[in-house]
Formats: sequence, C-alpha cells, structure tokens
Amino acid sequence: MNGGNRGVRGALAAVGLAAAVALTITGCSPAKPAPTDEGTAGGALVIGVTSDPDTLFPWKATQFQAVNVLQNLYGTLTEFDADLNVVPGLAESWEASEDGLTVTFTLREGVTFADGSTFGSEDVKFSLEAIQAEATAAVSRTSLASVAAIEAPDEQTVVLTLTAPDAALPANLAVINMAMLSSDDTEAELNTTPNGTGPFVLEDRKASQSLTLAKNDAYWGDAAKLDTVEFRVIPDESSIVSAMQSGNVQLAVFDDPLVAQTAESGTVTVEKTPQLSYHALQLNARRGDLADVNVRLAIQCAVDRQEVLDTAALGEGEVTGPITSPAYRSDPDARPCPERDLDQAAEYLDKAGKSDGVTIKTIVSQGEYATSVNEAQNLKAQLAEANITLELEVLESGAFVDRWIAADFDAAVALNGGRPDPDGMYGRYFTSTGNLNQVAGYSSPELDALFAEGKQSSDPDERKDIYAQISENLEDNAAWVWLFTSYSYTAASSEVQGFTPMANGSLQYLRTTTVN
Amino acid sequence: MLRRILAALATLLGVAVFVFIMLRAIPGNQITAGLGTEAAALTPAQQQQLEAYYGLDQPLIVQFFSWLGNVFTGNLGFSARAQQSVLELTAQSLPVTIELAIFSIVLALLIGIPLGMLSASRPDSPRDAFGQVVGLAGLSIPAFLLATTLLAVLASSFGFNPNGEGYAYLVDDPWLNLQQMLLPSIVLGFGIAAPIMRTTRTAVLEIRSNDFIRTAKAKGVPPRRLQAKHVLGNALVPIVTMTGLQFGYLLGGAVVVEQIFSLPGIGRQVLLGIQQKEYALVQSTVLIIALSFVIVNLLTDVLYRMIDPRVRAA
Amino acid sequence: MTDITQTATLAPGGGRTMERVRLLLRSRSGLVGLIIVVLLGVLSLLSAFGLLPYDPIAQDPPARLQPPSAEHWFGTDQFGRDVFSRVAAGVANSALISLVAVAFATLVGTFCGLVAGFYRGVSDGVISGVTNVLFAFPPLLLALSLASVFDRNWFTIAVAIAIVYVPIFIRVTRGPVLSLREIEYVKAATSTGQSRSMVMFRHVLPNIASIIIVQVTLSLSWAVLTEASLSFLGLGTPPPAPSLGSMIFEARTLIGIAPWTMIAPGAVVVLLVVGLNLLGDGLRDALDPRNRGKK
Repeated sequence: MNGGNRGVRGALAAVGLAAAVALTITGCSPAKPAPTDEGTAGGALVIGVTSDPDTLFPWKATQFQAVNVLQNLYGTLTEFDADLNVVPGLAESWEASEDGLTVTFTLREGVTFADGSTFGSEDVKFSLEAIQAEATAAVSRTSLASVAAIEAPDEQTVVLTLTAPDAALPANLAVINMAMLSSDDTEAELNTTPNGTGPFVLEDRKASQSLTLAKNDAYWGDAAKLDTVEFRVIPDESSIVSAMQSGNVQLAVFDDPLVAQTAESGTVTVEKTPQLSYHALQLNARRGDLADVNVRLAIQCAVDRQEVLDTAALGEGEVTGPITSPAYRSDPDARPCPERDLDQAAEYLDKAGKSDGVTIKTIVSQGEYATSVNEAQNLKAQLAEANITLELEVLESGAFVDRWIAADFDAAVALNGGRPDPDGMYGRYFTSTGNLNQVAGYSSPELDALFAEGKQSSDPDERKDIYAQISENLEDNAAWVWLFTSYSYTAASSEVQGFTPMANGSLQYLRTTTVN
Repeated sequence: MLRRILAALATLLGVAVFVFIMLRAIPGNQITAGLGTEAAALTPAQQQQLEAYYGLDQPLIVQFFSWLGNVFTGNLGFSARAQQSVLELTAQSLPVTIELAIFSIVLALLIGIPLGMLSASRPDSPRDAFGQVVGLAGLSIPAFLLATTLLAVLASSFGFNPNGEGYAYLVDDPWLNLQQMLLPSIVLGFGIAAPIMRTTRTAVLEIRSNDFIRTAKAKGVPPRRLQAKHVLGNALVPIVTMTGLQFGYLLGGAVVVEQIFSLPGIGRQVLLGIQQKEYALVQSTVLIIALSFVIVNLLTDVLYRMIDPRVRAA
Repeated sequence: MTDITQTATLAPGGGRTMERVRLLLRSRSGLVGLIIVVLLGVLSLLSAFGLLPYDPIAQDPPARLQPPSAEHWFGTDQFGRDVFSRVAAGVANSALISLVAVAFATLVGTFCGLVAGFYRGVSDGVISGVTNVLFAFPPLLLALSLASVFDRNWFTIAVAIAIVYVPIFIRVTRGPVLSLREIEYVKAATSTGQSRSMVMFRHVLPNIASIIIVQVTLSLSWAVLTEASLSFLGLGTPPPAPSLGSMIFEARTLIGIAPWTMIAPGAVVVLLVVGLNLLGDGLRDALDPRNRGKK
C-alpha cells in the first residue's frame, strides 16, 4: 500500500487489519501496577486479523498485513516516530554534503540479525543495490532513482552518491520495502525464515491460521516488552468482534466505523486514528472531455465533499486536499470552489463548450473497502445536477486493478495510500517521468519543476512552501478530485497498554506494548 | 465396476479442464493479486521477471499439461503465499473438512431420522406439523445467518467462543477441537437434517403403504419391531442415497461456515487460492474435492447395493 | 431430489389443470405456501411499479439507524434508507435473480435431460459427462468463480446460479425419460411413424412435467439462498441495489445496535424460502397421481 491503491487487494480479503490501542506510552491504567520496568513486563498478545501475510519477503510486500508483520521483524536505515518525523533507525546519523550530491550514513554498532550475524555496511550496500536491480522486482526501486553509487568505505559507514539532491531520501528509506537484509540471504530463504534486525523474530507460522512473533532479546533498541505477539487469522470481521468480546483476542484494527462501534463494549475500547490514505475521484486528463481543464474544474465545483463523506462514510473522516501527511497537510479550503457551486460549474462547462453536459466513464471497485460504491453513487447523484453524467462500472477487484493499471478509465473512484513525505506520495504520480504518471493522467512542466525543487531543498520551511504550491497547482488544474481521509479504529481490551496507533497504519509500537 | 471407474476418471479430467479455463477467465493474475495497484509501477523487465517466476510466461496449453503431468507424479504445486506445497496444505485442511462433514452428517441423521419417523408416524397430526416445521426451518434459514447469530450471541452473552482460539487439530488438543467443531456442526447439521427428515418421512410413508408391511402387521409382528426392522430397514435406501449426496457436497467445503468459524478447511483453501490467483493451488484442490466426491458416490453405490434387497437380488 | 426422482410417474399427461389446482388448494401446505408466495410477489410488484413508501436506494443520513416507527415501518439502515422499501425491492431482486436462474436452468437442463434420455448414444454420453463434471464441482465455489468471471450485475449472477442448477435438472429429467422411452405407448407412437422429436415433445415431455414443476419450486428456494450466500462472500448483487442476501450481510455489523436491519430481511428470506418449499410440497402432492383420490 505504499502509495498504491490501498483498498484494492486480494478479492475478498476484508479490511479488518491488525493493530492497536490508543493509550499513549505513558497512559497506564491506575488500577494495575504500571509495567514500566522491562523486567516485569511480558505477556502474550493476540491480534485478530482477517488475513495472512501473502509474502514474508519485505522488498515485495505491499499487502497491509504483510507490511505490518514485517515491520516488526526487519529494520530500516531510518524510521518514523509516532508523528511521522524521520528519526534514526539502523543509521545512527546521516549527513548530506554541501551540494547535496553525497549522503553519508553512520551505522549503529552492535546490531545483529536474527540468525546472530552482525549487521554492517556491506549489508546496506548489498540491500540497496539489490533493490535497485530490476531483476529483483523490488517495489521501491524508484525511490532510489537518484542514487548513482553506493559505497561502504568501512564497517559503519555508507556513502551514497546522488545524481541530484534528494531531500525525500531519508523518508523513502524508512519504509519496510527498504528493509536491510543480510548479504548472505536469498529471497527463497527469507520467504520461510525471516532474518531481520527488528524487535521481534518469527517464532511460528501456520499458513492462513496464525503467525507468532517472539521478542528479539538482541534487539539494538529497548527490547520489546511482550514475550509473544500472535496474529490470529479470523477471516470474518464480525467473528473478530466476537472473539474480542469473549476475550480470545485483545487487539484488532478495523476500517469500518460500524464494526468498530459493535466492538466497543465493557472491556473493549476503540480509538480512532486519522489515516494518510485518501479517497479521491481520479480523473484521467488525457482522455476525451477530461482533457479540457474546464470540464475537470466543473466536476471539482459540482461536488460537495462533505456530503460524499456523510452519505458514504457516515461522516467518519475529514475533507482533504491532496497532501494528507500532518507536516505538509493541504488546506482543503484552498481550492477552486471550496464550497459546492453549481453556477460556477455550469460556467466552466460553458467555457469548455459542453453546456449540453458530458459523460464520464467511471470505474469503481466493489468489495475491497466498504465505502467505494456508496461514494460513487453519491458523486453520480451530485454531478447529475451539474449536467455531468458519471457512467459507473462496478468491478470485481481483480478487474478493477487490471483497468487501473492500464489507465483504462475516464475516472476512477479510489482509496489511495498516503506517505509521510509528499514527494514519495505524489512524485510518482504527477511528474512526467513518474512510474505511475500514466495512471495519474496528468503532468505539466510546472509540476515537474516544483517536484524537482522540492527534492533539492533541504530546508523544512522551504519544502512546506513548495509542496503547498504543488497542492495548489493540482487543485487549480483539478488533476483529480480529492475527497476525504478516513480513520482507522483500534479496538483493544483493557489489559493492553502502551500501544500507539500511527497514521500510516504501522504497528511498530507493538514493541512498547504490554498485556497485563 | 471398471466402466464406472473409467467414467469417474473422465469426469475428473473434465473437472481439471473446466477449473483451468475458468481460473484464467477471472480477471487478474498472481502478480496483480499480490501487488494490487502497485503492479502499475512495475517496469517491463520487472514484469517479465515476475511472470517467469510464477510461470505465467508459458503458453496456456503448456501450463495445463505441465500441471497435469505434475499431478500424476504427486506434485500438486506450491503455494507462494503459504510457502508450502499444495499436498502439505491439503493434508492439513482435508482432515478438518472431513471431520466437520462427519460430525455434521451424524448430527443431521440424529435429528433428521427420528424427526422424519415421528412425522410419518401420524401424518397430518400436530407431531407431523412439528416435524415439518423444524424441517422447513432447517431448509430456509441461511447458514450464514444462523452461524453469525449463534456466534455473536454466545460470545457476547456467555463468553463462549472456542472458535476465537487458534484452530486446534484433533490430534493436538482433542477437547478444544471438539468444542470448535460444535457450533459449525450444529449449523451445517441443522441444514442437512431437513432433507434427511423429509426423505425419511416420504420413504416411511411409502413403505408403510406397501403390502408386505400390511402382511407383517396382520401376522402380528409387534408394532415397535415392525417400525424398527421392516419400515426403517426398507426406508434406509433413499436415506443412504441422500446422506451420501449431502456428504459429498460437504467435502467440497462449507466455505461460508468455515469462514465464520475460522476453520482452516478445504473450502477456505480454495477461496484463498481464488483470491490470490494461485492457479495450481486452486486446480489441484478442486481436483481433490472432485475426487472425494466421486469416491463418496462410488461408496454410496456399494452401500446401496448392500442394503437394498431389490438391487441385491438383481 | 432422490425422492422426487422416485416419485416419477408414468401416467399419461393431460389437461387436468383445474383438478390439480383444486388439489393444490386442498393441501394445507400448498395453500399456505401459495399465500406466502403471492403476498411476497405483490410486495415485489409494488417495488417494480415504484409504489414503495421510499426510494430504496435514496440516502438520508440524518435519519439513519432509526428503529421501526409509523414513518419507517422496519426502521432505517446506516444510510438512512428505509428498510421496508429495501426489503420489498430486495424481494423483487432476489425473486428476479432466482426466477431467471431457475428458468434458464429448467430450459437448458430439461432439454438436455430429454435429449440425453431419449436419444441416448453420443448425446447422452456428452451431456451426462458434462453433468458429472459440474456435479463434482463444489456448488458454491462454482457459483463464486463464475460470478467473478463476468462484470457483475443481477443477470450474470443469475446465469452463474443457473449453471450450478442445470445438472440437477438434467439428472432429474433424464432418469424418468429413460424409463418412459421403453413404455408401450411411446414405442407405439414411434412406430406409427411420428418423428422422434415429435414423440419426445408430445408424449415424453408432458409426462415428466410434474417432476419438473416440483423441482422448479424447490430450486427457486435454493436459488434465493445461493444468492444470499454469494452476497455473504462479497459476490452477490452489487450495491446499492438491495438484495435480501446483501442486506443481511451488511446488517451483520449492525446487529448489536440496530437489530431491525437484520431481522427484517432475515425474516423475509426465511418466509420466502418457506413459502416456496411449502408450495413445492403442495404441488408434489397435487401432481403425484398416487395421491389422487386419496384423502
């Protein structure tokens, strides 16, 4: 789901994911002794999930459940903290040269893999080069597009030579698809026996039934407090709720507010966390009537986003602009027609010479996330009032993915994953060389220039300004119609403490979690 | 008998061809099923690499015969998702389904036959009406409705939810295993009890009107014995046929019930395979299901010959 | 099914429709079944003619999850849609899918069964072979795969369900036809120079009509349940069009907070299936000549 269409995965696999309770790290129940001392903590946590990881190989994992498990088994050079700031991981520090063309990473000492071997700079060099190689088919290959050479002058130092400055690089290195593997390992071995530097190690796996992690005593940071974490596969979300009520499962993450509501009861509390992923009506500006910016703007002006949110998702979410990460968040009011304006929409259609109306063929996936078809229905109803006809094609997820990949649509109702860094999030979509640009259906020299500028600048304030301009540019040209972000719902029984859910859905704070 | 076995083999070949074609007709493949829309970011070289990895670069006809050839050598394929061979996976899931099927059938017979005989003992009486209503309920309540309701009520009101534990195999933890089989067997058994009850009722009524029963009655055979020996004995033929049929279907995996009660049976194995587009997994598993269906049919036939006096005589 | 096959009757058919209807009405189960089915039929007609109190797919978020009241007889769902209207429209959809599926299965299945049983030979070999293959396939998985092959709408779902039921009709038809072709008057008809297909449709088909009619009512009720199960697995009628199965499926998450969203469609599914079953029973009694004159 790293930036891909997050809803669209395996046909019937539901969305009930793994996850967490929202007591912060300091929040302890007053009734019970606080397990602050590592020695006394421990326990076994059971997380209810609807599906099994579909792969254990981190460079190819895109399935939500796989990412969640692997995040606890493997380490990355950089990491995100709870607020999605980039913080040191396996690299203790890094420094860019004056011209920004070399970045030097200093690695942490005394890090070992699960098999006991030592982690060092040759593993970093091996991993990054393998990710770059097309033959590996690693999904994050393009995140290293700016890296020309990787050097390991000594055991603790790695030097990257870049073709151009890349401010997004540290954030791009923090995702699990950039996991550091041992240079001795192969994909085939890791598929059955993960060998990472994370806070947990794989203890046991029963395919499509359960997967159990045990704490890694040799972990370089504070050792995990739980002895074991079991991801128990309960394919039906309602059955997960039942299992929580009977006390068999202590933690679960749901996407559907209704399911979360039923889970909430005496001992189970539910916390909602805003997500980076966003719901949008993707427009393909390279096809038919949509090639005219005025038609796209007419659509933009004819949509009341709050109404879509209210009818399709029970109002559970927030209207959003393009960028969803907290540090760069777009102002949803800074767009043409922040309020629905049918007169304005009619004017735009006039300008496009389409006052008779237009017809837009729209693909919708069904069964992947709860709100898709409802969103489509509401959009159709709203746009009909502006003389714009959405012709809906409701597709099986496999068929939807096929059409989406081939960019074979005028418009698509989609739930796309977000990323903490805006370059990682949209560079691939809206630059003319981006690997998803064909699907995004829109690019311009101005955007290319802005994205390049954003990558070059390492000054946070300057970057904020640049991405605000990008956001504005996308909205002014109505590249897509951004709708809203939703929440994830972390249900946890009262004995679970110390877990922090994250906006990217990560379960990395399992390492600070305890069960009494 | 040889002819029947040959016909069975032809049927299996047909199933193999059919499932192979149907899977290819479903949109998407293993690459897009695994990567989702992220597959759009693959470069042509990456795409080729993955196609070769999953064997999708071969012509369909080659894919079919290499799979079928492998099946004959006992290699049913490999599941990349589970990192296990299909044979291993099936060795785990088939016993779960067989166990569930046996429990459900036994339960269905325990409910269905007495109920059917009760109904038939006095047609159009209140007890007949009772039997018929229970039978109708079994036929009419969708299994998933009964299953979810049972699970939700028992879990939230009584905290009883053995299925919330990880699945325990019969050999590992018989007690927990039996508890986990309880609710799903009830749900399935209740549904199957209905046709068995109706078959029993019809058969008993029909046989009762037969001459030899009247003769036996006239000869003074006690009613209880008459009921047990002559009537039920003769009604057994249609009941066995019906039971065999239902058992065969159950071996196909009760997907919905397995899904709700988290049972790792064969139905879920196929369902996951279809979702992940793991072609070899689905093809081989469906073939195994068809094989067990065919075997159960043959066995039913043999049993039928053994108990039906008319067939025996012929 | 087996017991139906066994009740295969060999009496010549004829236009005793009125007598049969009278017999049907006389059987208690048949009468009750007929009443239920007619009532639900009227309900679905209301929806077909747009005579429902609310538009079944119109959302009204402020009025969501309201319990049953004078305004909303069965309450409202999570989008404020009127559950009564949706149930009525759901009956119409489920009935439409089941009817089309069973009609298709009856036509194809009966024809194939007739041909296979009457002509024997190669046609029998091919048809029986295909039937065996379809039978050996787990039915729900078959429907599931078929439903994911096509663009999903009510029609393709009906076709998927139909393909599952075709072999049943073939088998139910073929057996009796096999015995019928040996019957004297059929042989006689053939020998008088009537063409074989004429004999098949004139003399054989009417004789198996009663078996088929009973099978049709039973299959209708199964089709309703199959459509519901497909919805449960996410492959039923695509929303927002209501179907009874998908309504129950969606309501599962609501059962704790808004039980009416589940009870209404659940009860109606059960009622519909009960009605169809009772009607099937009644028809069987009425059409079975051995029951004639009894009682």
